[in-house]
Amino acid sequence: MLRPLVISFREGIAYRAKGNLLWLLHRISGLGIVVFLGFHIFGMSMAAFNPALHERALELYKTPPFAVGELILAFLLIFHAVNGTRIAILELRPQLWEKHEVATRLSLIITAALALPTLGIMAYKSISHFLGH
Amino acid sequence: MTTTTLTQGRTVRTIQPLQGKARFERAMWLFMRYSGLALVFLALSHFWVQHLLIGTHAITTAQTVVFWGAQGQPITLGNVLFRLYYAVMLVLAVGHGINGVRQVAYDYFGHRPAIYKGLMAVVTTIAALISLGGLVALALGAQASSEVAMR
Repeated sequence: MLRPLVISFREGIAYRAKGNLLWLLHRISGLGIVVFLGFHIFGMSMAAFNPALHERALELYKTPPFAVGELILAFLLIFHAVNGTRIAILELRPQLWEKHEVATRLSLIITAALALPTLGIMAYKSISHFLGH
Repeated sequence: MTTTTLTQGRTVRTIQPLQGKARFERAMWLFMRYSGLALVFLALSHFWVQHLLIGTHAITTAQTVVFWGAQGQPITLGNVLFRLYYAVMLVLAVGHGINGVRQVAYDYFGHRPAIYKGLMAVVTTIAALISLGGLVALALGAQASSEVAMR
């Protein structure tokens, strides 16, 4: 049952075209975000139905493992947003197709430019929080 | 469907009427692109407000009450705007997410309809229940219990 997944993952890594790795990362980031989204909407809903559970969810997000998970989420979200923008613009504007290599490079630069400060500030906030308490 | 063919450097568009599944797939294809573009602004602004401006370690139930407004208390224009912002983001994000999962599931399990359909039935049911809960929560507002308010 999982064979197609394993083959796809192995081929995705083995076939080292730039667009293919981005395609793979877009999938993985999308699936990662959607799983988090489910827990997040559930946890936030509890603010209306069960404030104690909502509070516990918020406290859970403040523990070290979740601080690391939060950094991973930040990267996946920013990558998925920027890479998705590239895909949407290129597919909705076929006249830009010949510039796809520039678009790929640009989206990687923008991802780095947004992700580095975001992850840096978040890591700084978490580390100072854990050291300060 | 609008098919685009390149003829001698010129773009020629031919219109073919679509029906049933193909029509749905085109709608989904467009939805993924436009909802994605909207979510870039909605989700990133949300993420940056919560994680950079406020910071994860400063997020409390009191914060949620400030944004949503509390049940049984008058709600402000700000609360209404925040609830609309969250509701639009929720619907677009869940729709975008389910369709993404559907595409991935079809790629790997499309040749085995029982697994594909079963998987999507489970995913769609869970997503529908969670989204409904989220939308009802936004409609009601947060519960400001006294012990939480005291912190």
